[in-house]
Amino acid sequence: MKVPVSWLKEYISFDISAHELADRLALTGTEVERVGRAGLPATDGNLDRFVIGQVRSKAMHPDAAKLSLCDVDIGGGKTEKIVCGAQNFEDGDKAAVCLPGGVLPDGRTLEAAVIRGVESHGMMCSEAELGLSSEAAGIMILPEDAPIGGRLIDYLPVSDEVLELEVTPNRPDCLSVYGVAREVSAVLDAPLMPEPVEDIEPRGDDDVEELIYIEVADPDLCPRYAARIIAGVNVGPSPAWLKARLVAAGIRPVNNVVDITNYVMWSLGEPMHAFDLAKIAGNRILVRRAMAGEKITTIDGTERALGKHMLVIADNQHPIAIAGIMGSEDSEVSGETTDIMLEAANFSGPGIMASSLELGLRSESSTRFEKGIDPELVPKALAMAARMLVELAGGRLVPGQYDIYTGPPSPVAIHLREERIESILGLPIAGEEAEAILARLGFGVRREDSAMHVDVPTFRADVTREIDLIEEVARVFGVDAIPSTLPSGMRAKGGLSEHQAAERGIARRLADSGLSEVISYTFIAPDFADRLMLKDEDPRRRTVPLANPLSVEQSVMRTLMLPSILQTVALNLAQRNQDINIFELGRVYLPVSSEKLPLEKRTVAGCVCGSMRGESWTGGGRVADFFTGKGLVENAFAAVNGDFQVRRAGEPFLHPGKSAGIMVAGEPAGYVGEVHPRVLEAFGIDRPVTAFEIDEDALIGSSAGIVQFEDLITFPAAYQDIAVTVGLDTTAEEIISVVREAGAPLLRSARVFDVYKGEQVGEGKKSVALGLEFRSPERTLTDEDVDAARQKIILLLAERLNATLRA
Amino acid sequence: MNNLTEELKAHPGLSDIYGEASADVEAAADPESLEAVRVKHLGRKSPLLQLLRSIPKLPAEEKPVAGRLGNQVRAALEQALLTRKQELEESQLRERLAAEQVDITLPGEPFPRGHLHLITQTLWEIEDIFIGLGYRIAEGPEVETDYYNFTALNTPEGHPARSSHDTFFIEGHPDVLLRTHTSPVQIRVMEQEDPPVYIIAPGRVYRRDSDATHTPMFHQLEGLAVDENITMADLKGTLEVFVKSMFGAEREIRMRPHFFPFTEPSVEIDVSCMICEGSGCRACKHIGWLEILGAGMVDPNVFGFVDYDTDRVQGFAFGMGIERIAMLKHRMTDLRMFFDNDLRFIKQF
Repeated sequence: MKVPVSWLKEYISFDISAHELADRLALTGTEVERVGRAGLPATDGNLDRFVIGQVRSKAMHPDAAKLSLCDVDIGGGKTEKIVCGAQNFEDGDKAAVCLPGGVLPDGRTLEAAVIRGVESHGMMCSEAELGLSSEAAGIMILPEDAPIGGRLIDYLPVSDEVLELEVTPNRPDCLSVYGVAREVSAVLDAPLMPEPVEDIEPRGDDDVEELIYIEVADPDLCPRYAARIIAGVNVGPSPAWLKARLVAAGIRPVNNVVDITNYVMWSLGEPMHAFDLAKIAGNRILVRRAMAGEKITTIDGTERALGKHMLVIADNQHPIAIAGIMGSEDSEVSGETTDIMLEAANFSGPGIMASSLELGLRSESSTRFEKGIDPELVPKALAMAARMLVELAGGRLVPGQYDIYTGPPSPVAIHLREERIESILGLPIAGEEAEAILARLGFGVRREDSAMHVDVPTFRADVTREIDLIEEVARVFGVDAIPSTLPSGMRAKGGLSEHQAAERGIARRLADSGLSEVISYTFIAPDFADRLMLKDEDPRRRTVPLANPLSVEQSVMRTLMLPSILQTVALNLAQRNQDINIFELGRVYLPVSSEKLPLEKRTVAGCVCGSMRGESWTGGGRVADFFTGKGLVENAFAAVNGDFQVRRAGEPFLHPGKSAGIMVAGEPAGYVGEVHPRVLEAFGIDRPVTAFEIDEDALIGSSAGIVQFEDLITFPAAYQDIAVTVGLDTTAEEIISVVREAGAPLLRSARVFDVYKGEQVGEGKKSVALGLEFRSPERTLTDEDVDAARQKIILLLAERLNATLRA
Repeated sequence: MNNLTEELKAHPGLSDIYGEASADVEAAADPESLEAVRVKHLGRKSPLLQLLRSIPKLPAEEKPVAGRLGNQVRAALEQALLTRKQELEESQLRERLAAEQVDITLPGEPFPRGHLHLITQTLWEIEDIFIGLGYRIAEGPEVETDYYNFTALNTPEGHPARSSHDTFFIEGHPDVLLRTHTSPVQIRVMEQEDPPVYIIAPGRVYRRDSDATHTPMFHQLEGLAVDENITMADLKGTLEVFVKSMFGAEREIRMRPHFFPFTEPSVEIDVSCMICEGSGCRACKHIGWLEILGAGMVDPNVFGFVDYDTDRVQGFAFGMGIERIAMLKHRMTDLRMFFDNDLRFIKQF
């Protein structure tokens, strides 16, 4: 909402600068985005270089047929020679003269110049040059009462400071200059002028009701509909001051009729509409919901299909306006219009908002109505607009009017307890002070001991409760006076839950292991399922789709983290980043058919691509592979003192031989594996990636809990290495499991430290070397103890796995 | 030793042996030659040993002196050998160490070093401040119902505040959406628990907006304190602790009245600009203050939705954008980099 300061001063006078006012408003609840300037720059005496001049003589330029050479009286006995290209003036016309050095709104500086051999000492300005309209063909002719030699700024608001306000949605009353003036009055404690709504006498012996019939069929969407008729208007350009005002407020001037309705809307906050009476078919207006299949072409030239719940203003044949949003092209006021029907109405906020959202069409009118505005503004707006139309467009107010009203809103009266103010704010504010503040804001206040009886004005429908009044008092009093304390009754204990602490531990461990954390958008492209080669029946193909995505690339919620991970890898490779080792703690979103909301599964995912240890003069890094990924998964589990098993994964997007399903307590909990080459191709990745994805709840749930002490010191362990030759298909897990069984109870751990395939062990065989640790909690083991255990292990390995001891 | 030398003057044989051996020890340049010196002068065939072995054959009156002197010479030589050996070893070690000198300006071993995302680091820092003040962390779903995201937060259908939220909706479920703020967690917690409640709720939120200063997904952290005597002064004090912990003890805050549907009164909190120290710069639009969060006293209507007794309890709530806090703290200029996931960005922090 742009509020030109000169306009504001019509309703309230104050001495402080616009910037000071902006600060005061900002601290009392009216945010000021910026204080700008509209029109001519005001710096360095620029405004003194724009004066009112009168053409004394206009002669042809000696060397240019299209130029004239003028003597222009600029007051104080001075006459300047000015070369002018426009033709629309004569001797005696008054014009806005820009003297050399003057800076125009577009930033251009006018210099004295020699034009076709003749010196020109200024410029007579067009409206376009002054930024008032796009009218550039001729100069702007000023009315006769313009004082010769006077500063233009003192005659026309061609330069104005403008407060750009960000009005919160609860305060539609401040979407008007008068409403802002009321705030300023309360904040500065300065008197407010009366509203500019003095009515004008009608003329003629006809009557509105003879000229038009109006009916409201849907009063639920239209609590009030009022209309007047102005006959015999001359539609044409508005006077310069009105254009200047509108331009400063950011509104494009159109013609006097439209400009006046806009001016009234800006002044009072009541949107209005002017219809060409001659274009209302059947002289009949019906305010009703649109009918199936109805369409309208709005004044912006767009044809729009109307929904059945949208309110329209219709004539005998078809809608001529979408109520409160935009009028139709074919009922628009034009140059031929002579009689107009002026509409001021009150439409239901939610109704306007729903229509506006559905049509994707917002206007200054709809942004006001959707917030719910005061129905009592209707007659005021009609009075103000009628007067201006008669005075500025030469019309006649036809006697009579329509005012179809479901009745004024029920009065709101609230009890405000003085002690309640302190108990909410933690700051006492005296009753007299609170009373004065509320009165300045337009509330009616009666004191009754320590309570106040407050009548809420109709323009403050946002105030319905005691707490709302406390806010009003607090903000105008100044919330900065509130002291700083901490809650006195604090007896809750803060902290992370076990799960939250574990989650942080996992993130920290993965980062410490060399992975960098990424955060990716949770909505992805729907073709992810095809790119991952998911089977048709894979439940992860069922997604939570967005109804209104920004793009198809971000249109479904992910059911797997992998697409996000691979996208990040591709992006980084495209940026020539090396070694893309990343993780993300995020959610996947799985629809649950019986539930409204999907299951949001927290997931720990990541990948390695390249080396974990960058190139270095101390030796290069190994290219990360499946076992790098598995090691990282092991680290994640170790972070929570948890454990997992693996089994061959059947994930279609992974390398079938280099991938594993992660199992926790016998249940699937994720995967780790090299990504399938075809999937990498689908994501535009040209090198191997090993990825993992773990269900976070399962991961944290695998925790063995608090680590229990074990005495590893008193009785030392005995260590033994063995190497056995087994078939190529025998897994490490199988070997370990046999070793554990045979080695119990003295065997404490068994770990594979070498695997060898080659000539020395023969075709179809491999050698696996294990480090064994034996330990007893009760005594130091003897060589005999260990030899016996070792012997049992070798025997069972031979029996179960056909393993032979390697010499 | 000098005494020994003095005494030996009367025993030229022993004196010669001692003199020659001492000179050889001094002259040995490395442990090997020193060993040869030892064999030569203290070995079984050495003149000294032979001399010592011949003592028993000496006349009885000479035996004690010769024995004593002979053994003293042997001890002195052994001591000299040991000292010399240590000297040689010491100098050899010095030489080796000197030869092993490295270029200490070469880089160290590149251990894998990962980075937590700046958002995570910022979130943890904020969380820890409030944990220190006695808050717990509550969490809630990102795919939310209209009821929790709007209605129960005093933003019923048709409320103008809804239109400013640019909401993503879920296809086929007009009342299901991606939460536009973390505030629904307030409602979910209050539905489950009786006061007092002191929680913060961090998480991802979504708005249908994408340009230089908006990403369709971002992070918020919500705070809620409900108890018997909570006032706006408590809100101010709490946020002052937060701001000073986060941005430095010299920072000030100010409250500006504002509007949110779920708080009344509502305020925005500004922090004194840490870039220009309040003198005015581009970051603070030359007003010396930076807006960092929204807050207020929980609206009684919200308590109505969760059946809290507004005669008995009142509370405050606040919400902040994590990206904004991180950007201010680290003077970041481009919001979108947070989610581009370019490792050059992530590894900076």
